[in-house]
This record gives sequence, structure tokens and C-alpha cells, in this order.
Amino acid sequence: MDRSLEVYDDILDLLPDVDHPTPLVRINRLNPSPSFTLYAKLEWLNPFGSVKDRAAAYLVRDLERRGQLSATRGVVEPTSGNTGLSLAGMCAARGYRVRAVVPNKVPLEKKVLLRIAGADLDVVNDELCPSPGMGEGSINFAKSRAKAQGDVYALPNQYENEENARAHYETTAPEIWRQTEGRITHLFVSLGTCGTVTGCARFLRERNPRLKVIAVQPTEGHDVPGLRNVAQLDVSKLFDPSLIDEILEIDFELAYTRALDLARREGLMAGPSSGLIYEGARRIVERDREGVGVMVFADNVFKYVTNMVKHVPELAEGTSA
Amino acid sequence: MSDYTHPEVLVSTDWVRDHVGKPGIKLVEVDVDTKAYEAGHIPGAVGFNWQTQLQDQVNRDIVGKEAFESLLGSGGIANGDTVVLYGDNNNWFAAYAFWLFKIYGHKEVRLMNGGRVKWLNESDKTLTVDLPKITATRYTASQPDLKLRARVQDVIKAVEARSHNLVDVRSPDEFTGKVIAPPGMTETAQRGGHIPGARSVPWATAVNPDGTFKAADDLKEIYLKKAEVDPRRDTIAYCRIGERSSHTWFVLTYLLGLPNVRNYDGSWTEYGSMVGLPIER
Repeated sequence: MDRSLEVYDDILDLLPDVDHPTPLVRINRLNPSPSFTLYAKLEWLNPFGSVKDRAAAYLVRDLERRGQLSATRGVVEPTSGNTGLSLAGMCAARGYRVRAVVPNKVPLEKKVLLRIAGADLDVVNDELCPSPGMGEGSINFAKSRAKAQGDVYALPNQYENEENARAHYETTAPEIWRQTEGRITHLFVSLGTCGTVTGCARFLRERNPRLKVIAVQPTEGHDVPGLRNVAQLDVSKLFDPSLIDEILEIDFELAYTRALDLARREGLMAGPSSGLIYEGARRIVERDREGVGVMVFADNVFKYVTNMVKHVPELAEGTSA
Repeated sequence: MSDYTHPEVLVSTDWVRDHVGKPGIKLVEVDVDTKAYEAGHIPGAVGFNWQTQLQDQVNRDIVGKEAFESLLGSGGIANGDTVVLYGDNNNWFAAYAFWLFKIYGHKEVRLMNGGRVKWLNESDKTLTVDLPKITATRYTASQPDLKLRARVQDVIKAVEARSHNLVDVRSPDEFTGKVIAPPGMTETAQRGGHIPGARSVPWATAVNPDGTFKAADDLKEIYLKKAEVDPRRDTIAYCRIGERSSHTWFVLTYLLGLPNVRNYDGSWTEYGSMVGLPIER
């Protein structure tokens, strides 16, 4: 296979690695300090459209290595959509079935995309009136399926599976290290399963112990798909606070307005979680003034049109005759 | 350390594992998420749907006596059986079903301490999608014991006379009126807030992280000391539609032994929609 020709034998061959990274694009008009170089890593250029392709590939390969998947035994996974979509795409190519368990508030676009990709869907209500330790509806529901039908489903469980962090330790972080020629001073990430932050921070801290790892999180009661407020992080077993220098809590509505700024002033069609990361990075750049920062932009905006309209209603104005 | 007043109403997950399938023991799962039973349940358990089987399908009311008899009969439950209830969300609707079983006079009812989530997270416990083999029975219910139930008239009188402990078990945002219902819930009310004089004790305050009920001394601290629930007075517990408050009704009645606790199943969806009733925020 000659990757320079961009001809592939298998869709999975498009997965990035240190020799074929996802792009870093410099922020120009929205960068408040000329002596701070700020890059966005465009993870939506993964083959199935988001950063979750990396974790999903490691999860599937790990299950395959351990002989856990077959024509009759697929995967069931709790997901806010992107991991499910990555798994569905990969499993479609491999011939495994996928059942995605998604919270009800996941945008319609993602639910439909999961079905387009051939996944069966369980939609559960996650935020009824939770109590500590109860876990979330989608995670418990997926665990139930796996426990009741172990012959039909394996449960990768991205929230607890070290393969998720390993994917970023072995791909995302080495890519960033090489792409910045080791000059990176600041890493900006959001928190969900915490696979990205944990995997990347482990690798990059080994290379540069003074690297600042900054996580952004939306305010409580947020509506930013894929992200978690710290109060929601107890389900993320990969969350390791010792790897994070600062956690910025940012008004979740800014996720939407900053995503618009990125589209309109940088030409980056970034999704709301990237909008939130950008706002966090902007604040740190204004404070620190100098450095080389990388923001991991998990997804573009296309799957979040419903959410964008909900939070920026004027986007819908003038859209009908 | 004191014990619960009626510890016999609780069974552990280990007890259920050891007794499931034995004669006279019947297991019933009742979930908020009515799809959960189908995704996997304890072997031998029947599933009751709170939306279609525990409520009257025409009037807004609890299931009628005949329908309750028919439900239990078709579930293979006999009058003398010991019924063990469990469900998701730390037994919200299992507690509601417990309350209904008591209203209709079933003698031996238990709640599986920790509910579905505790069972799910224990490696020596199994789940199945196979439906149990059921031999139907002829079940006879008692006339409903309405002392366990508060109606809106009872609540109005209690507010006017300031005669009762009123315990609001909803989330803090529902209590203050910031939201009328938890996100995604279809049952709602015209106004947000709480019943005047009610104390806010969210239902989850009563449970440990593993889903089991907190120890008696902790429960006393929470309800009797902090929330100043006066055990000499009658008590009304309410939430949005009466399921979370069944959980608190169970705690106050059986674990703390308070006399005359009623569950107001009309709850906020009724009170918060009535014209002219006083609301606090």
C-alpha cells in the first residue's frame, strides 16, 4: 500500500499514526497573542469523523486479539454517539454487529448516523435524578446487555478500558510531539471518557515534564454532547487528576458561540466541544502570552446542527421561504 | 448503632441469589426505564411495566383492584407468596410497587437492597433475557388501604393546618422551581416550586453509593435531625408523580418506623397544576 497515493485496501488503513497524523492548523485571526503559537488538531479528519476512531480502533483490535469477536458476537457500548459511530463503521468493515446505548439527549443527527452505519440503538434517559454511585443509565444498560447476553455482545467500555488511553499514548501524542518538533508547551483538551487527556499527558509529560495540560469542562447542567463536568466524571475510570495542571470550568453556552467564531473567523468548521476548548485556550494564551499550544478538536460541527440551532436560535432565521 | 425498625422488609442481593426459584419466593422487577427488563433481568423474575400495568389506563389513578389481581395472577403470584421487588434507579419504581402491594394488602413483600445496579455490579450475579415459566394463579387482593395514600385534599388540609411533616424528595432544582421536571421527563406541571412548608430531602440522600439504604443512624440524622421531620406528627412524602416519594415513604415507614406516613402520588404534577393553591419557591 502506498499512502502517498492515498489508495487504501481497507477503510481502517486511514487511521492516523505518527507517520500519517491528523493535521495541525494554526489559529490566526482568533489568537490573542502573536508570541503564542496556537494549533488546532483536526480530529474530525479521522476516517469515521471524530477523535473516537482512535480509541475505537484500539478497543476493537484488543477484542479481536483476545478472540472476543466473531460473526455472532459483536459489541455493545455506552456512547454519546461518536465512539458508537466509530465502532459501527469499523465493525461494518469487519463483519461484527454493534449495539450502541446512547443517552436521550444525544443529537438526532448522531442517532440517525448510528443507524445509517448499521448499529442497533438503545436510547436511555440518563439524567433523571441521579444519585452518587448509581452510575449512568447508558453505562448500566450496556453492562446489562453484556451480562445477560455474553454470547452476543462483548462490552469494550471506553470509560474503563485502558486501551482507550493507550490509543492516545501511541498515536495522538506522538503525532503532536513530532508535528510541533517537541516545542509544545500547552495541551488543551476536553474531558469525556478522559482517554485523550490521560493518554496524551502521559506521553508528552515523559518528553517534557514541564508541559502544561489544561482541561476545559462545561458548567454543570451543560448541554455539550460528549463532554463531562467534573461532577459527572466518577464514571470515567481513566480520569487521573495528577496528569492535569488546570481544569477550567467554562459557561457551556460559550461552546456554541465560540464554535461559530471558529467557523466564521478561522474557517474551521469545529463542533461545540472544540468551541469550549478554544475558549479555554484563549484565556490561557491571554494569561501566559508565550508558548506553543495544541488544542485537540474532537469533532466538526456537522453532527450538532440541532444543538447549534437550540443554543443560537438566530441560525434558523431566514432558512425557510 | 441502632437497627431499622422493620429490617425484615429488606433482603440482600446474596439472599436473592440463594433463594431465587424456591417455592413461595417470587421475584418482580419494576424499572423506570421500561426497556431495562428486556435488556436483562434476574433469572426467574417477572417484569411489571409501571406505565401500563401499575396505573389505571383511563383515569389518572393507581391500578384498580381487579387489574391488580389479574396482573399478579398472570405473574404467577399467589396470596401467600413472598414477593421480592427490585428495579433500576435504586428501586424507585420497585418502592412504588411495594407501596401498591401494601395498599392491596399483600402480606409478605420485600425490597432487594441495592436494586438492579448492585446486582449488575456483582460478579457472582447473573442476568438473562429468557422469560420465566409462569403458572398463572387466582390472586385475591384486599380492599385498598387508603391510609397509605395522600390525596390532594389531604395535602391542602395539611398545608392549611400546618399539621404534617411534608417531605419533598425531588432534586433541589425542582424544589426551588428552577425546573419543573428532570430533563427528558414528559410528566410535568403548570408551575414550578414546592408545597408551602415542605422540607427538601432528595430521595438519593437515603442511599449509599452501592445503591443500598444508609444505616439507621444516618437516616435518623438526615430526616429527624437535619430535616426536622417530627416523628410525633403524620407525614406526607411527595415528588413529581409519586415514584421517588414511594422510596422515601418506604424509608420513613419501615426503616425509621414513623407512624402514619402517606405517599402523595398525585405529587407535583397534580399540586403544581391546581388553580389557586399556594406555592413556595
